[in-house]
Amino acid sequence: MNPVPTAENPFAGDNSGIQKRETAARWALRAGSYLVVLTTAAIMLHIFVKGAPVAFQSKWPFINTQFLTELPATLHVIEGKQGQHIETDVNGADAVKKQLGENFLSEKTISYSGGGILGPIVGTALLVVVSVSVALFLGVSCAIYLSEYAKKGKFLETVRLAILNLAGVPSVVFGLFGLGAFVLTAPKFVDVPAERSVFSIPLGFTTLSFEGWDTCVLSGGFTLAFVILPVIITASEQCLQAVPQGFRETSMALGATRWQTIRYSVLPFATPGILTSSILGIARAAGETAPIMFTAALAFKDKLPWQKDLPPLPADASIFAHWEQSVSRFLGIFTESVQALPYHIYTLAAKIPQNEYAERAQYGSVFVFLVLVATLAAASIWLRIHLRKKYKW
Amino acid sequence: MAPSESSSRPPLRSLIVRTRKRTVLGFDPQQIIKHFFGANASTAVIVLVLIMIFLVREGIDFLPTYRRELETYRKAGLELCDIADNPLKQQQDLTSVLRRAWAATTDPAAKEVLSDAEDTFDTAIEPAAEVLDELKELAKETKELAVEFHTLEEGRQQLLNAAAKTTDAAARADLLKEAEASKLEPVDFAERITPLLERRGELATKMHEYTVTLEEAVKAFPQNNVLVDQVRAAVPAHIAEIKAAAGRMQAWQWDKPVSIFSVIGAFFFGTEWITNSSWQDFYGFVPLLAGSVVIALIAVLIATPISVIAAIYTNQFATDREKELIKPVIEFIQAIPSVVLGFIGISLVGNLIKEVSEWGFLQWVPGFPIQERLNMFNAGCLLAFMAVPTMFSLSEDALNNVPRAYIDASDALGATKLQTVFRVIVPAGISGILSAILLGLGRVIGETMVVLLVAGNRIAIPDFSAGPGVIFQPAHTLTGIIAQELGEVSRGSSHWQALFMVGIVLFAISLLVNWCARAVARRFEPHKA
Repeated sequence: MNPVPTAENPFAGDNSGIQKRETAARWALRAGSYLVVLTTAAIMLHIFVKGAPVAFQSKWPFINTQFLTELPATLHVIEGKQGQHIETDVNGADAVKKQLGENFLSEKTISYSGGGILGPIVGTALLVVVSVSVALFLGVSCAIYLSEYAKKGKFLETVRLAILNLAGVPSVVFGLFGLGAFVLTAPKFVDVPAERSVFSIPLGFTTLSFEGWDTCVLSGGFTLAFVILPVIITASEQCLQAVPQGFRETSMALGATRWQTIRYSVLPFATPGILTSSILGIARAAGETAPIMFTAALAFKDKLPWQKDLPPLPADASIFAHWEQSVSRFLGIFTESVQALPYHIYTLAAKIPQNEYAERAQYGSVFVFLVLVATLAAASIWLRIHLRKKYKW
Repeated sequence: MAPSESSSRPPLRSLIVRTRKRTVLGFDPQQIIKHFFGANASTAVIVLVLIMIFLVREGIDFLPTYRRELETYRKAGLELCDIADNPLKQQQDLTSVLRRAWAATTDPAAKEVLSDAEDTFDTAIEPAAEVLDELKELAKETKELAVEFHTLEEGRQQLLNAAAKTTDAAARADLLKEAEASKLEPVDFAERITPLLERRGELATKMHEYTVTLEEAVKAFPQNNVLVDQVRAAVPAHIAEIKAAAGRMQAWQWDKPVSIFSVIGAFFFGTEWITNSSWQDFYGFVPLLAGSVVIALIAVLIATPISVIAAIYTNQFATDREKELIKPVIEFIQAIPSVVLGFIGISLVGNLIKEVSEWGFLQWVPGFPIQERLNMFNAGCLLAFMAVPTMFSLSEDALNNVPRAYIDASDALGATKLQTVFRVIVPAGISGILSAILLGLGRVIGETMVVLLVAGNRIAIPDFSAGPGVIFQPAHTLTGIIAQELGEVSRGSSHWQALFMVGIVLFAISLLVNWCARAVARRFEPHKA
């Protein structure tokens, strides 16, 4: 009467039906997820394969220094009768033509595709510096208020709602806002207010006139700052919240004021995280095109921002005059419009006819752009790890 | 001496408790710090309000400006000409179909008939077209006069204003003199419109003659030709429209005022966006909205399943190592600048789609083979790619927030993993997933560079009669039009104001989408265990 011992495990799932469906569904979900990963990898690979040959070269120093250190220029391609193609710039074109003599067949000019991309790189760097400084200051202060001071109420709700909505505003609308606010209306110290000034306040030695900053690094940087503000606020607040509550309580129990608590017991531990949060901000600020289209970016400029023609100083100029000129040269960097990498890519992709030479410039710029963004991100991550070692809890 | 020493020592309490607080200019420093941070926190609110103010400041004058332009359009008689012109323009389409039919036929006799028919079509319209051209000439002249008058008048007002401000008597006299010199007689619309009104009868007669000839010509058409049948089918509608136009011309009044509501209607329901035209600029919103909406729908339809699937897989099935791969990669997508993706759309995806559409075994797909490399589908694909990170991370958060007890209960009842996921976890997190989809939609509608580069930038309402194949047509979008045209217009012109109006609408749409996402998240919120 003993029960016959069964060889099968009664708890094993049956191998048909449900089990098969389960496995199939699992694989379908996995396929969907890896589709995204593979697409991303394919796009990156495509850019790398097409762009790396432009940025690097097989000879020492292996990096195409011309592409990285020259300003964009018009490319002249001269075709000879033996089928040779000679690439040169506007100054070299005549010499090459003379050299070819009888063999000269045709000449093509391709805008923006010659030279390098130093101008756009510098412009983007300036825009990022301005926007990230402004956004970090405003964003971290806002996050400190939200996390350390705010009590539940109307004001807090309004601020949170505003941040949410600000994050959803289309970037081109930020561009319109920047155009209306910074380019055309922002206040500025001038001697004589312009005609378009909205209103002006005389201050005796100068006038504060609401006539706008024109298209320049400042206008673009401030516009970008507001684009990335919600990202920075949200991320910084999370970092502040992550600092254990006990740190604050200990500090307060020792009789520290609220500000001392924040300054010595909260901020030092939140800084690594806040710096990481600025990675996202930098990447976004560097990548946005629409907000700077009308506020800062130029399609073409043959000078770097600091190469401005200032009147030469007399030989016996005082040290003060030299100093003054250096300062005005430095400040001039921020009141000039610049080329920016994303706008340069847009110009190359949309405004000029497509051919192999243009394509080379395009892929080169895109590649360098992505590498720069990735490097910035990597630097911030390194910084975070470095700072993390110092503070552990 | 000891007692006196101890009495001179201050009491312990006063050492510890400071009775008078330290102040800065009479304020408590702690309060100052608090308000400093509070003020910074209000930046977000202030910026939002400032965005509204500046958009409205530049855009609000659009309605009066456009109203004035439309009024001139009517009073100068341009509207009358367009009433006749729009149906007559269809003749060109018909002729071009006939020409194609002519090219396609091989039979010489049929070819002759067709070429005759084409000639008849062309000659029949000539008398009407001639009259119409003369009328157009007149109307345009009136309009140009009106525009000139308006420009001078505006300049004169500025001079007068400047004169009122100056304190210098001589300068004021100069300004006033200059203002007087630019004074112009206002255009007498009533007088200038008369020839148009008188000749509209003539135009109507010519148009009627044209329809009669057309009807005759159609009878002589050869049978059994697809293209010719197309023309034959289209002609009655064409004739009906011309007759209706003749009736409308008679009923048309040049001095009917343009109400502000009709201006609003002309903007929001206008089907044409025409700028820099020598005839008349129109700012109609529908073509742009249609492009934006179709592209956004394509993007959301593609991105939703992929990102929800990826979120479910990563959250529920993936091993830790897989998570370490999938999550950073998807977060990395967010860092890819949109202009780079737009460039990929031009250089890679466009050609890819075109090549795929030429494969023989895919010809059953509507719209294949495609005509344009840059089209709405291409833009939609790239935008879907951009929307994946937003949708993925928010959906994953939603799945993460499902209470542990739900899963335990489901497991305890003997449900398989798949049943737990799709019957318990996903339904419980559905509010978060829906709001993730909506936020993704908001991101897609507001995206600029990809659509500007990839959507093809043809300002026309997509031809929905093409069925699902419509997605392979080029289009223009709300965001793209601002980015493309704002750089080229002068401040304060009607075109500038129209673009800011589009900006206002975009801003409103983004607020609306955000509000919906929040409402959805609240509406379906699961009861917390």
